[in-house]
Amino acid sequence: MTARVILLLLLLLLGVAAPAVAQPTEDAVKAAFIPKFARYVQWPAQVHPGPREPVQLCVIGEDQFGNLIDRAAASEQVDGRTVAVRRLADAAGSEACHLAFVRGGNAQETRQMLFAMRGQPVLTITDSRAGATRGMIHFTVAGGRVRFFIDQAEAQAHGLSISSRLLALALGVRQRRT
Amino acid sequence: MRRRLTTIPGGLSNAPGAIVAVVTLLLLSGIGIIIQNEAAYRDFQVQETRVQAEILAANVTAALDFGDAQAAQEAVDAIRVNRQVRAVGIYDLGGALVAGYGRDGTDPPRQLTQLQPSRQAVLTARVPVQSSGERIGSVLLVSDAEPVSRRLNRYMVMGLLVVMAALVIIVLGIGQNALRRANRKLEERANTLVATNAELKVQITERTRAEDQLRQSQKLQALGQLTGGIAHDFNNLLTVIQGSADMLRRPGLDEAKRIRFADAVVQASSRAAALTGQLLAFARRQPLQPEVIDVNALIQGMTDLLDRTLGERIAIATDLTAGRCAVEADRAQLESALLNIAVNARDAMPDGGTLTIGTALREEGADGNMVAIFVTDSGFGMDAETLGRAIEPFFTTKSMGKGTGLGLSQVYGFATQSGGDVRISSTPGVGTTVTLLLPFSGDALDHRDEARVGRLQPRRTGRILLAEDNEEVGEFAQTLLSELGHEVRWARTGEEALELAAREPFDAVFSDVVMPGMSGLELAEVLAAQQPQLPVILTTGYSDEIAETGTGGRPVILKPYRLETLSSALDQALRDRQERS
Repeated sequence: MTARVILLLLLLLLGVAAPAVAQPTEDAVKAAFIPKFARYVQWPAQVHPGPREPVQLCVIGEDQFGNLIDRAAASEQVDGRTVAVRRLADAAGSEACHLAFVRGGNAQETRQMLFAMRGQPVLTITDSRAGATRGMIHFTVAGGRVRFFIDQAEAQAHGLSISSRLLALALGVRQRRT
Repeated sequence: MRRRLTTIPGGLSNAPGAIVAVVTLLLLSGIGIIIQNEAAYRDFQVQETRVQAEILAANVTAALDFGDAQAAQEAVDAIRVNRQVRAVGIYDLGGALVAGYGRDGTDPPRQLTQLQPSRQAVLTARVPVQSSGERIGSVLLVSDAEPVSRRLNRYMVMGLLVVMAALVIIVLGIGQNALRRANRKLEERANTLVATNAELKVQITERTRAEDQLRQSQKLQALGQLTGGIAHDFNNLLTVIQGSADMLRRPGLDEAKRIRFADAVVQASSRAAALTGQLLAFARRQPLQPEVIDVNALIQGMTDLLDRTLGERIAIATDLTAGRCAVEADRAQLESALLNIAVNARDAMPDGGTLTIGTALREEGADGNMVAIFVTDSGFGMDAETLGRAIEPFFTTKSMGKGTGLGLSQVYGFATQSGGDVRISSTPGVGTTVTLLLPFSGDALDHRDEARVGRLQPRRTGRILLAEDNEEVGEFAQTLLSELGHEVRWARTGEEALELAAREPFDAVFSDVVMPGMSGLELAEVLAAQQPQLPVILTTGYSDEIAETGTGGRPVILKPYRLETLSSALDQALRDRQERS
């Protein structure tokens, strides 16, 4: 009898907990996406990570992911390379990054950070929740799903080439004017 | 040639087997190529399906990476253009279906593990989706194999070609076979031809030999017929002569009968001489001696002879024209011709009958008047074929020894040579009429006739040198010359004659031509040199020497000679000698 009650309780517990597990939070999805971008980006030869070198993933400014991004990076491998996460307060030292999630305290601050990183071959990633300021990849939520825009023109201006496979998944792509 | 003919078919003797082998090989290789092609095509299809799956896998890498089912579905939907793809499924790492579509009731399984083993007609490709060397999911692609009908269509052309090639080979083989058979037949025919040719050659040789033999036997037969005929004719004449001579030897024969029998002997002998002359004429050795003859008188003179020759069973009638019936011809030949016709008539009437001899004057075209002598018998006549050949030399219906086959030939030869013709008409069972046409002669009749022989006129006589090797003839000639009143010296050879001529004087020489040693002609030549005034008279039965070289103008008396002829020739010679000296 008691066993039955315990089982029922357990099932109830599981039933409450299951949605939380099955539906990862928006930040968790974004954190999972960010290291994956490295697979679809080609850096200029002088900054491209060597065969044994890890891909440098920087979180600049406000860290909204916490250890979510550390876990995602740890499970990710890009052509046999590991992904190393570094946290930076501002744009200083960002030249060593391959990818950078940039988020300032407000939109103005984010724009300043991106401006400071101008000319560096770093794939910049921004989030619409932090304002309209866009990096090369800009997260948004559409139809209940995490989606992203790609500014291909900006990426190309910085010597980065983004795979068409990734472009195909983007909600919108800003092409370079020709 | 024959060697070649035999080798060609020999090399093709196993042609049907070769054809079957080639056709089988062709069909097998065709089937083999089709099977191999089919396998290669299936491999290619499998490969294609796999490549398509791989391309799709590459296309959905990012979508799967970022869990974008919609993007994955878009990539999958692009495959729909290919109608051969039955189902497509994109599965995540856990094997759950992310995107996919199915056609014709084939749906991608919800879970990759639920994949059932595919049917034969379906190609299934399962490839991993990899991102940066990491497997992140799978693509399942189920493709229709090409329908059988399309494959059959594809191979139909090839099959058709193979069948056509086989047909061509079969047709060629059949043609070759027919050719070989024809060749063999040709060879057989050639062989037969060669054999036939050889046989023909043998036959030709045999035929030639047979013809030679036939010709030889015909020659002998002709000779037999000739000699038989001559014997027959001579026997007839000899019967008359012998019979008459026997009668003459009877004592107490009255004068009239004696003269009649003597005349018969003379007549028969002269006819015998004419017969030998006929033979010589046939041999073209004797010229004709034409004279004017009263045909009616001649026929009347012959009736006695004919009566005796033809026998008692045959009655002789004459139907002579009242007018003058003179012809210019050789008397002996004409008599002989009539005798020949009469003998034929007798032979056509073995049971007796009537022989009618008639004369008539006829107007015959441009040749002027002709005297027709027709001899009609009441015998069995001739059929058309016999009639056509009647004149042919040596053609006779009589048995061996009974006739020469020369009778009518002589008649025809004589008539045409004398400017006349012979007509024969005959009706089987009624009789035959032979009409002898001779040109009418207006000349005065020569009154020389048999009667003159007896009326000898006074002749010159002298010393005669007789040269004759034959004892009987010599004795006869000596008697004859002595009877004529000459003084005769007889030499048996030419040499002896020369000696006598040198020792004694002679008025004339009467010499035989053919003698052993010195011939009459040689003797005459020598005497002409020694005594040019001495006349030489030659006599001969027949001489090649005279026929070839002539007599040098000297008179020749042909044997058998008549007393009258000899007498007048000597008389002439003596007169010439007298006149010259």
